[in-house]
Amino acid sequence: EHCQQPVVVMLRLVLLMVCVTSALGAHTLVLVDTLATRETHSIFLKSLQERGHEVSVKAADDPSLQLSRYGEYIYQNLVILAPGVEEFGGALSVETIVEFVDGGGSVLVAGSRDAADLIRELVTEVGVEMDEEGAAVIDHLHYDANDDGQHTLIASPSAGLIESEVMVGPRDAVPLLYRGTGLITDADNPLVLPVLRAPSTAYCYNPTQAITDYPHATGQNMLLVAALQARNNARVIVSGSLEFFSDAFIMASVQTPQGAFYERSGNGKVVEALSRWVFMEEGVLRVASVKHHLQGESEPPSAYTIKQDVEYKIKIERLEDGVWKPFLANDLQLEFVRIDPFVRLTMTPHPNGVFSVNFKVPDVYGVYQFKVEYNRVGFTRLFSTTQVSVRPFTHRQYERFIECAYPYYASAFSMMVGVFLFSLVFLHHKDSPPKHKSE
Amino acid sequence: MSAPVLNYRTRGWLRMSVEKQDTLLKMAVLSLAAILSFSCRLFSVLRFESVIHEFDPYFNYRTTKFLAEEGFYNFHNWFDDRAWYPLGRIIGGTIYPGLMVTSAAIYHILNLVNITIDVRNVCVFLAPLFSSLTTLVTYHLAKELKGPGAGLVAAVMIAIVPGYISRSVAGSYDNEGIAIFCMLLTYYMWIKAVKTGTLFWSTMASLAYFYMVSSWGGYVFLINIIPLHVLTLMITGRFSHRVYVAYSTLYVIGTILSMQISFVGFQPVSTSEHMGAFGVFGLCQIHAFVDYVRSRLNKIQFEVLFRAVISTVAVTGILVLVVLTAMGKIAPWTGRFYSLLDPSYAKNNIPIIASVSEHQPTAWSSFYFDLQMLTFMFPVGLYFCFTKLTDENIFIILYGVLSIYFAGVMVRLMLVLAPVMCILSGIAVSSMLSTYMKQIDDVKTEKKKAKFEGNYFMRSEIATFFVCVMSVFLVMYTLHCTWVTSEAYSSPSIVLSARGHDGSRIIFDDFREAYYWLRHNTPEDAKVMSWWDYGYQITAMANRTILVDNNTWNNTHISRVGQAMASTEDKAYEIMRELDVDYVLVIFGGLTGYSSDDINKFLWMVRIGGSTEKGGHIKEHDYYTPAGEFRVDKEGSPTLLNCLMYKMCYYRFGQVYTEGG
Repeated sequence: EHCQQPVVVMLRLVLLMVCVTSALGAHTLVLVDTLATRETHSIFLKSLQERGHEVSVKAADDPSLQLSRYGEYIYQNLVILAPGVEEFGGALSVETIVEFVDGGGSVLVAGSRDAADLIRELVTEVGVEMDEEGAAVIDHLHYDANDDGQHTLIASPSAGLIESEVMVGPRDAVPLLYRGTGLITDADNPLVLPVLRAPSTAYCYNPTQAITDYPHATGQNMLLVAALQARNNARVIVSGSLEFFSDAFIMASVQTPQGAFYERSGNGKVVEALSRWVFMEEGVLRVASVKHHLQGESEPPSAYTIKQDVEYKIKIERLEDGVWKPFLANDLQLEFVRIDPFVRLTMTPHPNGVFSVNFKVPDVYGVYQFKVEYNRVGFTRLFSTTQVSVRPFTHRQYERFIECAYPYYASAFSMMVGVFLFSLVFLHHKDSPPKHKSE
Repeated sequence: MSAPVLNYRTRGWLRMSVEKQDTLLKMAVLSLAAILSFSCRLFSVLRFESVIHEFDPYFNYRTTKFLAEEGFYNFHNWFDDRAWYPLGRIIGGTIYPGLMVTSAAIYHILNLVNITIDVRNVCVFLAPLFSSLTTLVTYHLAKELKGPGAGLVAAVMIAIVPGYISRSVAGSYDNEGIAIFCMLLTYYMWIKAVKTGTLFWSTMASLAYFYMVSSWGGYVFLINIIPLHVLTLMITGRFSHRVYVAYSTLYVIGTILSMQISFVGFQPVSTSEHMGAFGVFGLCQIHAFVDYVRSRLNKIQFEVLFRAVISTVAVTGILVLVVLTAMGKIAPWTGRFYSLLDPSYAKNNIPIIASVSEHQPTAWSSFYFDLQMLTFMFPVGLYFCFTKLTDENIFIILYGVLSIYFAGVMVRLMLVLAPVMCILSGIAVSSMLSTYMKQIDDVKTEKKKAKFEGNYFMRSEIATFFVCVMSVFLVMYTLHCTWVTSEAYSSPSIVLSARGHDGSRIIFDDFREAYYWLRHNTPEDAKVMSWWDYGYQITAMANRTILVDNNTWNNTHISRVGQAMASTEDKAYEIMRELDVDYVLVIFGGLTGYSSDDINKFLWMVRIGGSTEKGGHIKEHDYYTPAGEFRVDKEGSPTLLNCLMYKMCYYRFGQVYTEGG
């Protein structure tokens, strides 16, 4: 009976937990070690408020802490600027934070040289490992002039930033100030992104101890800021430095040992861009609509027939300043899949965000899927599949008279005529022999 | 018609002429046999409910429903996207539609006369109905061979023979249910055609043959045995114009008709199974032509001509056959047919055929179980046929001997053997009884005469004794058949029953419960992976998309599922992602002690999974212990204990208390 049903269309949008009012009215919980952090990181917090976040700053061990109430999250974003916290207060724990991420929440975590085990445990859950307690990133070639002699105040070149304007803003040559521990990630983990790599001359070790064994993290394998975009598109940023976000670093000037001087460090812009990214204000895509039908028609048939010409349209939108606007790209591809892709085509973009493509259904029947998968660094994963059936010809759809069969038609009909004539002759000749006999 | 007769019974019985009494008796016996054959197939309906049995019937039921609702053209063009995901299956072109068309026709006719009956009930009771019809056809067939007496005995015997009942109880809605009727009908028409040599009967035979082709793949047996009959007649010098007309008509019309079934298509003119019939058709023409030439030429001329032509024709014929086979124009013999000729062929080469229990060779005991006294009566019947060789007796001898061979190769073909066993036994019993009954009568009426013909010692006593023994045999046969039907062949297998400690009947309805769970708790478009046995039932009852089902047309796809079941969880996950699987269904009998669960079938999954290229890493011996045992306890092989099937079956099983503790 299902043959008659309208096409079983499966549409999965693995996108969007965030609605149009993304930043507007987003509730953001900021956890701090001491309330003094509110003053030391005021620029960062103020920028959040200016973008429409409802920021509530609380001590990390506040006993009234909770992320959800009656099964619903009261915050969309969580900022943990509390590297020293030994145990979260209230209902908060590593497990609830991981659940929060599973539920689509955004988290920004900042560590430090002396980050507590709790923070280390938390970042391990998102695929990032902080170096040992007490270890700091040291670079004898890239440090700021204000350094105290241990070369732990790194002026990291902006070349270490990930190549994604969506995540870190437009690139310039201004170095970033950083003081804290190094991060190690598993290179095989495809979900973790290296936002800021350490300079190649950097390493991570306790600056007050003699180096006896090889440092865990060295050079470009070490990250200063890492990001995770989970399978559900929840975003997490981990930094090994709390000061990276501080007013002091944002406002500071930078002087490198090589003699270059910059009025302002690059921190301000990068922190702004990163926080926009992590709190789902940037790089968010969604599928607005999917349409497929025969060329020249507007409604999908209950099932396609092999070799038909099909048109597929998908409308994709991008969140810009809280408003969904058409997305433009020229590298979006459509696959027509039955276990393996039978068709893979690049789609033509249109100014209204619609991507379209025309193609001929392959000469193989079965259940196919229109599949659009678009994974680009910094953007949410775009994935849309629509299941359609492709049926073989019905008995009426075959060619009725085939040219090459004409000899056979001719032979059949000539045979029929022959038999008819033969029986005519046979029946009427019967009378003559008896005459001969009688004679 | 028996009602008015009963009213006048006291006075009218004696007044009726002998012929009328004879007819009345025959009608009474025959209608009783028909009613008996219908009613003794209802055990399962009475004991459980009006439910479809087994696996294949569920598919037939689903397609019948579709046909009844959507009409024939939609049915013919039906592309099923629910089965064999993501390949799909063209249902219209891959089934024998006879069964569905028959039920849909009955359904529509009944509804036309305002008997509102459900499609399911038509399906459930179709097989018993057709076995009643089989009873009638058997009577006519045996009557043509021997006489009305043999016909009656054969009819009564086939009404209750377990070998046939096993495939035709109420609810067993499968092709075989009507195919046996079609087969016997075709034989009857054929014998009529051979006897009369008229176009009418041969056309009727081809129509019956068409019905047979439309309903069962076993028609191949039929289209080989009829040519064989003709060939035997030729060899024994019995070839006549009657046979010529009968066979030429049957072959031409039958072949054209059979090609209208889209599943059969061009097979009748291209595959080796049908070549015998074609060859015999050619021989018929040659034979007729030779007879004609012989009547026109003198003997010496004829001899020379005959030899020259024969040798040329034979050589060219063989050459053409070899060339065509080599070029692939004539399809090579299919696996199922090889396994008929060589029982070990399938087991060695095609695991998917060997894995089906009904394709296994038959055990000797099951011959007795399914046929009881018929096994002993069969040779007797053959003897009686040999004593009076006629065209039609030769046919029944051929049919009997061939089918007993095929039944020995494959359990399933017991079904083909059962009717001929009944016919031959009917002939045997009837012949012997009529011989001895006469002697009893003789003695009573003409005692004096008997004394003079004193060659026979205690003639009457022996006759009486013999008749008694035969009656005991027949009564035993009846009891045996009833018992077998009741105990062995009337469980629907979808609903299981067992005896509790106190002897009460416990019903396990777990299958249907599981399918309804799927129906109510999973998304409409969910894809369910299971072993192919459960495919038809899932689509019919749970209405969910499945990957493989009992129509095992694509070995690679089944093998892929086998690989997923036999692989470790991470490997299986990859395969299942590739196939878009949402749910996996396994049947585990550990809790209730149900023996034919998936662990029991597991080695077949391993074998079938390992039989294709992609499953090269799956080796059967990895799943045995070093001692070569198949164990599922802690000493089982690590490969087995880590595979998906084992993990799913025994998931948290340790926390459950069973009867065994």
